[in-house]
Amino acid sequence: MIQVIDVTKRYGQHVAVDHVNFTVEKGEILGFLGPNGAGKTTTMNIITGYISATEGTVKVEGFDILEEPEEVKKRIGYMPEFPPLYMDMTVQEYLDFVSDIKKIDRATKKRSMEKIMDLVKIGDVRKRLIKNLSKGYKQRVGLAQALIGTPPVLILDEPTVGLDPKQIIEIRSLIKELGKEHTIILSSHILPEVSAVCGRVIIINKGKIVASDTPENLSKRLSSAGRLSLRVAGPEKQVLKLVRELEGVKNAEVQGVKEPGTVDILVEAEMDIDIRRPLFYALSRAEYPILYMKSVDLTLEEIFLQVTTEEREVS
Amino acid sequence: MLAVFKRELKAYFASPTGYIFMGFFLLICGIFFAFSNLLTASPDYISVLSSITFVFLIVVPVLTMRLMSEESRQKTDQLLLTSPLSVTGIVLGKYFAAVAVFLLTLLITCLYPIILSFFGTIAVWEIVGGYIGFFLLGAAFISIGLFISSLTDNQVIAAVVTFSALLFIWILDWVIQGLPTDRISGIVFACALVVGVAALVYFTTRNIFVSVAIAVVGFGIIAGVYFANEYFFDGFIVRTLEWFSLLKRYENFMMGILSLSPIVYYITFSAVFLFLTVRVIEKRRWS
Ligand SMILES: Nc1ncnc2c1ncn2[C@@H]1O[C@H](COP(=O)(O)OP(=O)(O)OP(=O)(O)O)[C@@H](O)[C@H]1O
Ligand SMILES: [Mg+2]
Repeated sequence: MIQVIDVTKRYGQHVAVDHVNFTVEKGEILGFLGPNGAGKTTTMNIITGYISATEGTVKVEGFDILEEPEEVKKRIGYMPEFPPLYMDMTVQEYLDFVSDIKKIDRATKKRSMEKIMDLVKIGDVRKRLIKNLSKGYKQRVGLAQALIGTPPVLILDEPTVGLDPKQIIEIRSLIKELGKEHTIILSSHILPEVSAVCGRVIIINKGKIVASDTPENLSKRLSSAGRLSLRVAGPEKQVLKLVRELEGVKNAEVQGVKEPGTVDILVEAEMDIDIRRPLFYALSRAEYPILYMKSVDLTLEEIFLQVTTEEREVS
Repeated sequence: MLAVFKRELKAYFASPTGYIFMGFFLLICGIFFAFSNLLTASPDYISVLSSITFVFLIVVPVLTMRLMSEESRQKTDQLLLTSPLSVTGIVLGKYFAAVAVFLLTLLITCLYPIILSFFGTIAVWEIVGGYIGFFLLGAAFISIGLFISSLTDNQVIAAVVTFSALLFIWILDWVIQGLPTDRISGIVFACALVVGVAALVYFTTRNIFVSVAIAVVGFGIIAGVYFANEYFFDGFIVRTLEWFSLLKRYENFMMGILSLSPIVYYITFSAVFLFLTVRVIEKRRWS
């Protein structure tokens, strides 16, 4: 469906995207994960034909973006990082304009616009000027714009950024829903988000692909370094000493005191050892009750650190 | 193209821009009409058309500054450039929208000669010719403004640069009169042009080989032309700059002469600037 072939983008000396290769099959939802400046937006801009690659090319349904840009663009709905909205138009006028530039039939235009407005729930603001909408609604209009013409491919650049938690959940389930009929590439900073909606994840760092796998495999690989955060009622020194002496504990640090008489500590386990049970028994035997215990998700930076070092170990 | 045209036309009248343009244009035109026709009871309307060309300096930047620059500032160019529209279609849509606002304003000013016709006879064909010239001149100026608007994402800069460019064209005829016409200065000027083009290519592409190649080919052409026809460079500066002398062609229309060559000239002039605008937009995507 989508083939990204050896794409490189250079800005002067700076390499934003470095020989990136991947393909996306029909019906797949691909997550594009990476820290700031990794090259996610640049790659998406190249796929959609907004900018040109310095080297390499992109094919969508067999059409080459360089040779038949129109055929490719017809098949892609793009929601850029900043929704490309005309502030001086109402929502309806705007979507009408988008339908026109995407050359949608007059006959089907009205109906498909209604359907899309329903889908992203912007029907009640259709008569309002876009400039007066809240950030979340602007984001939705940006998504609606990408859906117009029901293109087979959707490219969504950080679709949930700036939304409130309720809307994030709504948009995620909407994307999942859309995944039934569209092939989707979406970018994000947040691993749980990508795991929630994507069938496959590509991690990109400094313009290079560093990992490509299903979210399950990826988290399996990443969760091996179990880290727990816990709050224990008891004196700081004794608790810390006890935990550190436990078998399988690699490191333990005090994070601070948030409740009087308790201490928060961060425990890092050795590879592949589940220390939750030993920890519980040891502390309860000493009569230092655990008030809470939860595993700490790796931050994106830590994931990268891990993925990149892992790759190095392999090679 | 039609979609962009319609949107742009609406945008002119959804913001003060369209009204400022029309209001100011009609005001100046009205003042000149009052002073040179009504108060003096003169039927010579065409003198109004020839004396108000200076309003272009002020109103064309207002009309064109937003066209491309606002798209890149608001990132809406992402929508247009990733849609199945061609860049040429986008540029033409915008150009024709600005021209349409101008044409609409011009049609309103047709009331003035109609008013005059109640009081006496007017030279109808001369005035029609004058209007055609005036329209073509304005359309050419708009193409310059559109081009400059595509170079920056700042409206104010676009407006100021457009104003300066139009001012330069406006005073060009006076400038030309003072320029040397001898052969040596013609050759020096041609060489300077070649160096300028090569430098421009270097600063936009950072490709030293291409720019050196352009310089070498350019000098080669100059030498070739010189040996083939050494008189070519006599008055070369003047002839080159005259190419930009939009107002000189306009005088013909004002004298009531309607000939083909200035019409072709104006249309070519606009087409060149529209083409350059398309190139600038395409180019930016490759950088
Ligand atoms: N027009 C440009 N000129 C020069 N450098 C650029 C340009 N656009 C992007 N870059 C550089 O390319 C690199 C990749 O940028 P890109 O916007 O693709 O990152 P990203 O993964 O989308 O980051 P974010 O998560 O912050 O959105 C960055 O280092 C950026 O500085
Ligand atoms: Mg980005």
